[in-house]
Amino acid sequence: MDAASSLAFGFSVAFTPFNLSLALAGAALGTAIGALPGIGPINAIVLLLPLCFSLKLPPESALILLAGIYYGSGYGGRISSILLNIPGDPGLVMTTLDGYPLARQGRGAAALALSGIGSFVGGTLTVLLLTFLAVPIARLAVAFGPAEYVSLMVLAFALLSTMGQGRTAKTWAAICLGLLGAMIGIDGGSGVERFTFGSLEMLGGIDFTTLTIGLFAVSEILVVAEGMRSGAVTNLGSGERLKLSELVSCLPAMFRATGIGFFLGVLPGTGAAVASALAYTAEKRVSNRNNTFGKGDMRGLAAPETADNAAQTASMVPMLALGIPGSGTTAVMLGALLMYSITPGPLLFTQRPEIAWGLIASMYIGNVMLLVLNLPLVGLFARLLLVPNWILFPGVLGLSFAGVYAATNSMFELLLTTGIGIAAYAMRKMGIPLIPMLIAFVLARLLEDNIRRALSISDGDLMALFSSPVAILFWLLAALTLLVPVLAPRFGRRIRAVSDSEGG
Amino acid sequence: MKAGLLGDRITGSLFLLIGIGAIWHAWSLDVPFAADPVGPKAFPMVVGALLAIAGASILLRPDEIAWEVGDYGRVAVVAGASFFYPLALEFIGFVLATALLCFACGKAFRGPTIGTAIASVALSVTFLLLIDVMLGLPLPRGPLGI
Repeated sequence: MDAASSLAFGFSVAFTPFNLSLALAGAALGTAIGALPGIGPINAIVLLLPLCFSLKLPPESALILLAGIYYGSGYGGRISSILLNIPGDPGLVMTTLDGYPLARQGRGAAALALSGIGSFVGGTLTVLLLTFLAVPIARLAVAFGPAEYVSLMVLAFALLSTMGQGRTAKTWAAICLGLLGAMIGIDGGSGVERFTFGSLEMLGGIDFTTLTIGLFAVSEILVVAEGMRSGAVTNLGSGERLKLSELVSCLPAMFRATGIGFFLGVLPGTGAAVASALAYTAEKRVSNRNNTFGKGDMRGLAAPETADNAAQTASMVPMLALGIPGSGTTAVMLGALLMYSITPGPLLFTQRPEIAWGLIASMYIGNVMLLVLNLPLVGLFARLLLVPNWILFPGVLGLSFAGVYAATNSMFELLLTTGIGIAAYAMRKMGIPLIPMLIAFVLARLLEDNIRRALSISDGDLMALFSSPVAILFWLLAALTLLVPVLAPRFGRRIRAVSDSEGG
Repeated sequence: MKAGLLGDRITGSLFLLIGIGAIWHAWSLDVPFAADPVGPKAFPMVVGALLAIAGASILLRPDEIAWEVGDYGRVAVVAGASFFYPLALEFIGFVLATALLCFACGKAFRGPTIGTAIASVALSVTFLLLIDVMLGLPLPRGPLGI
């Protein structure tokens, strides 16, 4: 099947009334979640997983719903950045730079409309690229054996550690903690208990829901409780609406930002935050002739918003085609697929085309829905910002615990969630990044299985990991990535400065 | 700014210890049978070693951490409530336990007492209806049946 006919098949899956309504529900919920502080797409997806199971959703429908939340949140996040000057997500820091000044000038409505259109352009163009690139990448990867997978995962970790936020040593520590955490429980190959310390509850290992909610929901609430961010909602503004000429003047910025966002989104570890920062910096260099950037320049708003959504969508490429997630949210979606006993990767496109292509088709539909939802209804979503903190955060905490209980039916897992949450809070204070830990946790099993498979073919000879040209290429790239900060310190510092905004 | 350096020193030593502990634990595993020549020991040992190296590097070259002084009392209230919540859940049931959790957390976020109380009860009843009654995922019921 070529891409066009596969896509047509995908649309036949996505266009059933049931899947359409799920895409709409996901998109609307995602916008709301993106607008609200404290939840975020990672937690929302994990909390909805037990719901997908109890409703007995088929995997393609579940994925359509969850993906809708993912890219929907990219639309919602801009609302608080523009109106409150509070970025709800690290990828949105750059949106505040020109978005908030625009809102202060009374052009909040125009800024929201423009950023909505930017999100649409970035999202849709990237899905288009995804449509034509996913299969060729997957086809290359079909021939990958265990050695190639091991080296590819090491390359992903290397990219995370040098390109991502935080110090390299701290990222490696986070990766190791994620890998060790995933080893808790019974080892499949030998039946030996590892790191259980005789505890019966630990035999099954740490539940994916427990880890994610602890890492991201509980720790976030603790961080907010400590610092208590707040701000006054700037009025939507009665100022001029977005003019067509303004939109047209922003289109080149949007196209450039899509390119940057796509490229960085496909790489693991960089993600939306770096993409939007880089797009903003690049756009400033290209178009800042009258020194208007930072004072409410439309192009300075369009570029990061577009890049943010492009990168978000592009990070689906390695997850779908290789089975290796590069961002926190795609790691959670991979976890969701694994719970359905579906292994994403090169064979997904041929063996389960309804999942792969149904999802891709639904992303076209979802982006159109989001544009339609967001242009007229943005005032409604902005109203969500008025929910007081003392209702919002207790609600998120209560729902998180209820969700963990619903998924695991165990008191012990709830205690573990709290424990992980407190530990994650401490780690954030110490500048240990959490997302590499989650990615490592999800990939650990795959990594260890592949190492052991490769070495059992060669009967323990380590050279088996370096046996094919592709594997050697990945190892060399990984080594090169690790050496970047040593060989070109300025480049490394630059990237770090850009991604510093990611905080914890 | 000595506190900043201290933070990294503690983190680094903790990671070093966990790494060494992981190596030791994997080393002492008793493996009666393994299907492959590598077995379950090698991977945790390599990862533990890597963690120990990362920890040592943080310990020996600590960075200063920009430390923002926040309100740790509120953090303690939220963390404490989250810790007691699972212990209380089975005895007093989902609705009561969740309402108490939300109330403690809401007060920590400076909510007005009566408003927070109403919101807490409303939230916990909503969650019960949503998850237990509508979706059929059972939540623990206390002596009152809720």
